[in-house]
Amino acid sequence: MEQYLPIVLLLALVVGFSVASAIGSRLLAPKRRTGAKEGPYESGIVPRYSPAARFPVRFYLVAMIFIIFDIEVVFLYPWAVMYRQLWTFGLAEMAAFAIVVFIAFAYLVSNGALDWGPRQRTGGRPPADLARSTAATVRRVPRPEELIERAGPEPRPLEPDGAPGGAPPRQAQPA
Amino acid sequence: MIQSVLFAGVGHLAQSGSGCLGPNGTSITGLCTSDNSLHMPVAYRSILPMLVLFIGALVLLLVSALLSKRSRPGLYPVLSTAVGLAALVASVWEWYDVGNRGVSTIGGQIFYDRFSVFFGVVVSVTVVLASLVSDSYLRREGLDGVEAYALILLAGTGAVLMAEAAGLIMLFLGLEIMSIALYVMAAYHRRRTESGEAGFKYFILGSFSSAIFLYGVALTYGATGSTRFQDIAGYLARNTLVHDGVLLAGMALLIVGLGFKVAAVPFHFWTPDVYQGSPTPFTGYMAALAKAAGFAGLLRTLTGALSSQQANWRPVIWLIAVLTLLIGSVMAIAQRDLKRMMAYSSISQAGYVLVGLQAGSAAGTAGSLFYLFTYAFVIVGTFAVLGLIQGPGEARNDLGAIRGLARRRPGLAMAMLVFLLAQAGVPLTSGFLAKFYVIEASVQRGQYPLAIIAMLAAAIAAFFYLRIALLMYAGEGEAAGPAPALEPAGGGAEAAGEAAGEAFVADGALTAGLQPVPSLDGATATLTWEPPPEERIAIPPAVAATLAICVVFTIAAGVSSPIIDFARHATAMI
Amino acid sequence: MDAAYAILALPLLGTAILLFGGRRTGDPASGWIATAMAVGSFVATVVVWASLLGHSAASRTVHKGLFTWIPVGSLHVSFGLQLDPLSLTWALFSSGVGSLITLYSIGYMKGDSSYGRFFFYMNLFLFSMLVLVLADSYLFSFVGWEGVGYCSYGLIGFWFERNSAAVAAKKAFVTNRIGDFGFMIALFMMFGHFHSFNYSTVLAPLASGRLTLAGATATGLALMLFLGAVGKSAQIPLYMWLPDAMEGPTPVSALIHAATMVTAGVYLVARSAPILHFSPSAQWVVASIGAATALLAATIACGQDDIKRVLAYSTISQLGYMFLGEGSGDYGAGIFHTVMHAFFKALLFLGAGAVIHALHDEQDMKKMGGLWKYLPVSSWTFLAGFLALSAIPPFDGFWSKDAILAAAWHKSPALWAVGVVTAALTAYYMSRQFVLVFGGKARWVDRAAEHGAAGHEAGGHAGGRPHEAPPVMTVPLVILAVGSTVGWLMNAPFAGLNFLERWLAPVFPARIAPSFAVATGTKWAIGTVATAFAILGLVAGLSAWRRTAERPALEPAVLAHAWYIDETVSAAASGPLARLASGVSFGVDAGLVDGLVNGVGRLAAQSGRQLRRFQTGYVRNYALGIGIGAAAILAYLATRMGG
Repeated sequence: MEQYLPIVLLLALVVGFSVASAIGSRLLAPKRRTGAKEGPYESGIVPRYSPAARFPVRFYLVAMIFIIFDIEVVFLYPWAVMYRQLWTFGLAEMAAFAIVVFIAFAYLVSNGALDWGPRQRTGGRPPADLARSTAATVRRVPRPEELIERAGPEPRPLEPDGAPGGAPPRQAQPA
Repeated sequence: MIQSVLFAGVGHLAQSGSGCLGPNGTSITGLCTSDNSLHMPVAYRSILPMLVLFIGALVLLLVSALLSKRSRPGLYPVLSTAVGLAALVASVWEWYDVGNRGVSTIGGQIFYDRFSVFFGVVVSVTVVLASLVSDSYLRREGLDGVEAYALILLAGTGAVLMAEAAGLIMLFLGLEIMSIALYVMAAYHRRRTESGEAGFKYFILGSFSSAIFLYGVALTYGATGSTRFQDIAGYLARNTLVHDGVLLAGMALLIVGLGFKVAAVPFHFWTPDVYQGSPTPFTGYMAALAKAAGFAGLLRTLTGALSSQQANWRPVIWLIAVLTLLIGSVMAIAQRDLKRMMAYSSISQAGYVLVGLQAGSAAGTAGSLFYLFTYAFVIVGTFAVLGLIQGPGEARNDLGAIRGLARRRPGLAMAMLVFLLAQAGVPLTSGFLAKFYVIEASVQRGQYPLAIIAMLAAAIAAFFYLRIALLMYAGEGEAAGPAPALEPAGGGAEAAGEAAGEAFVADGALTAGLQPVPSLDGATATLTWEPPPEERIAIPPAVAATLAICVVFTIAAGVSSPIIDFARHATAMI
Repeated sequence: MDAAYAILALPLLGTAILLFGGRRTGDPASGWIATAMAVGSFVATVVVWASLLGHSAASRTVHKGLFTWIPVGSLHVSFGLQLDPLSLTWALFSSGVGSLITLYSIGYMKGDSSYGRFFFYMNLFLFSMLVLVLADSYLFSFVGWEGVGYCSYGLIGFWFERNSAAVAAKKAFVTNRIGDFGFMIALFMMFGHFHSFNYSTVLAPLASGRLTLAGATATGLALMLFLGAVGKSAQIPLYMWLPDAMEGPTPVSALIHAATMVTAGVYLVARSAPILHFSPSAQWVVASIGAATALLAATIACGQDDIKRVLAYSTISQLGYMFLGEGSGDYGAGIFHTVMHAFFKALLFLGAGAVIHALHDEQDMKKMGGLWKYLPVSSWTFLAGFLALSAIPPFDGFWSKDAILAAAWHKSPALWAVGVVTAALTAYYMSRQFVLVFGGKARWVDRAAEHGAAGHEAGGHAGGRPHEAPPVMTVPLVILAVGSTVGWLMNAPFAGLNFLERWLAPVFPARIAPSFAVATGTKWAIGTVATAFAILGLVAGLSAWRRTAERPALEPAVLAHAWYIDETVSAAASGPLARLASGVSFGVDAGLVDGLVNGVGRLAAQSGRQLRRFQTGYVRNYALGIGIGAAAILAYLATRMGG
């Protein structure tokens, strides 16, 4: 049990310090409340309702790719430790590993997974529909027949129907 | 997609780089620190088919990265087929290289024996067939691209690894490599909600079962002190551990985890939803591949490592086999969606392989192997036909879609008839011999009740296979029957139609989705018995060739003996 | 020797082409394809035959493996070919006559809406027939046996839109099933006793004397096999289907129901000679049934008006002769008659077909007559066939029938007497047929005139006059007529011309078919008496029917109705038997069997409906199911823990 003593001590130290600072600041800090200070950002316009917590799906994709590569890189650490013992064998296997990761990376880059903006994303195909709906920031994947029809009418702009309260128009359907 | 690539990378590296001992090393962890020279020979020949498939997948990805988008639409299926053929050649070479006695290589993590090579052949063949049939479907649905073929190859990689695994860890790695690729394949049809739902359900339940499997691995390790099959078997031989709770629990959880992959009842619930939702050629691939690999794992684990525990696992498999046979057959009758019906049919087919497994003898293993090999052709062919007749957007999967097929495309109907008869177990097809061998093995072990139940299930199942066959040959309002011999068939079709009408309360579970809609219950959904519009079904040459291969193989394996000899030789496990 | 595979492969290839080609091959391409395949098969057979002739007499049995079907334990089923004098004899005349008839059909079936289907069946039939005779085991033979049965069914009912054709097809099928049942029982008995179906394991030891067979086993086996032969070869009591089978197109009647398929029974009995050898009583049964059938069918043929039905009863009668010969122990004579019969009966049927063709599907002989000058080729060739069948020397039938009668005399004078009387009747009904069709006054003129007056369908035929068939039909007639006239030279009983007998000798060694010597004087006497009876019948027929077509005294209703046997059977079947059957049907079948079957079906459907509830679509429920399953397994294994 003795070898865990430092951990227990550290834990106690952490808990003690945080409790002490919380109590200390409460006791020592001056308290002068004003309206502006109570606002969320202490400046600017106070929002009337909270905005939708919505992010482009690309964020998730990038996050996922980051995590995967991150974890792959962890694999390099044991090799670095055992580098001398493993020598050529380890070098060859790590090279194979690096190649595999690199090919996956090349695939991602060529597929536009790391590009921002709509142009690269479509990769040669004509853009699906310029009318991005306000209902979703995710762009709808076009059906093949829609792509063919694209040659016809211009993409319709969002109709400015100016409904109060900003009721979102229906997702724009191609003619 | 990306995960699977990288998982494959990890898997590849882990299995090739984690061992340092000779063929009969005892270390399970692999990284040994006993001396400073960690130079270990990796017997690449023992993992050749897997390497071919994996490197093939990488090459495909690389080619797609270097070429501009859509410059070579037909390139990927050709490459994928070539990779599959190369893996097949590699497997055949291995078959002669390995000889009768196998060895365990690469730090004792890989078995190099005829059993693993057999599955190398099965998987390679399945990859080739799937690559050939997928192209036209993917183009029709506007889904073509490199990803489909890379996934096919990666799933194959995992499947081969499962058969080659010499321990539970490798088995799990193979399982995951294969499964993750299959999850993505199930969800591959971006515009079909059903496809996404299928992938999602498969993923959640698959992860669930993987967790159970891992728990089983942990418990088995706890009981025996090893995850390597040889060590487990050796430990159990040395120590009388017949009624150890930890071991039994571990074994039970391993059975559950692998039983999920082969769609054994009661771990089958995902099957109909996933088979129905997945893109049709992928469904056939999935059915052939996951079953083969899952049973490879089961056979390795139960008849290999845990053969001393037969008294404990055989009753469990007995019960699972009975349930699988009966529920698969019975549920299939109540379906009106062709893909869903074939899903239940594949559950029922898994029951027969379980019968062979349950025998726990060389004959039973040979029967199971024969079953899996021949079934790959049958099921890929079946779904290839379904993929053709369903029309763009998978518009028609109901039973009516196949009505009158014989009049519209006689050749296609003939191929489908062969596949149906094979699944029903009619003599002169491979299906008959497959059922015969497993039941024979069961009888040899004195399992008469199981044999009788298996035959009863075959009789029940024959009903819906023949119903499809009759529908194909029953045209409506045809001026003259094709031949007098078929006149009784016409009458039979009416009778079958009546029976079918009565039995038509399919479970609409897939349409129910994650949020079931009560109104989509079978009772209110309209029965679509109308034949599809008389448009000509185009049969692409690649699909026609594949169907021809499958039909010829199904009949040839049903009338001759080389395949069973092949399977008999492949029962030589370490 | 690998031409042996081509014998089977070519008709099979033709079948596949015609099946998948469907209507695309069309008229007349389908016919030519089928003919080419049949001729190719015949050529291959001849090649094999020639190479067998190169072997010494004792080593003329060659086995060709095809494939192994089920290699499990004691059940090792493999299929292969056995090429020996017996099988090649059948293969030669089946493919030879088959080629000619297929050629003839190109003309006969012209314009039929299902032209391709006809030739598909013809090639499939030829393939099945060759499988039947070339197989190296009873089981493989049985495959061919069922195959020819199916083709027969399909071709009798070829014009299935006609009710009578559909009924006849069904009748043939059901009757044959009874025989097949016997065959199957024989197969089971055989496997129980020998653990094999192969001729080489079952028959060879019996023939060489290495093995004997207990009398009871031999009798049971032989009688069950003979039951199969009785069904296929239309003997008493299973002969009723053959006359009705004339509903099929005439080339079919010629090929299947005269020349080849119906002789499959004769082949089976000849093949099983080593078994028959151990059962004298079974030999007696074969001979007696043969003689009785020959006589009965001949009497019925005397009262028939339909040109094809006369020939059908005649076929039954002649098949009876063949069994008489085999039952009497002279297999060579029976086979000789089979081959000769294939020539002249095919010829007669094809000639009848030409007549029917010329008279626009008229089959009633009472409405024919005087065709001699309109159909010269058909008439001359028909004459040859008629004389051959009537056993007038020196035509084919005389020689083969003479050999059979000699064997019958050796067996029992009573059998011989029946044979001789039948010979006289044969000559009588054939001469009646000949003069009614070709001689006398033309009784069809009125009809043709009517046709002309009615003004339809007269086009193409000058005044509705009958016309000779196209060359594609007459060429086979001429070839067959030559065969019927000089074919006997292949087994003439003098001057060392008995090729067939010597060719077949290795198959029937003296152990199982002891040769018997009939004194030369007796032989001459038998031949003379038989010929006298035949000429008597011939003269009687000619004189009675030369002038008139109406002689009610000579056509008692009892003969026209075939001794009322069919009617009696039908009445019994529709009366008490039908009541019994319907009782069984409604009581046992509907109540018990159907109840069980439907019950299982309903149970399955019902359980499917109930089980459906578990397939909710909720992933959480699915996971719960997996969890419950895992828990159940754990609970079960927990009971085995620590014990």
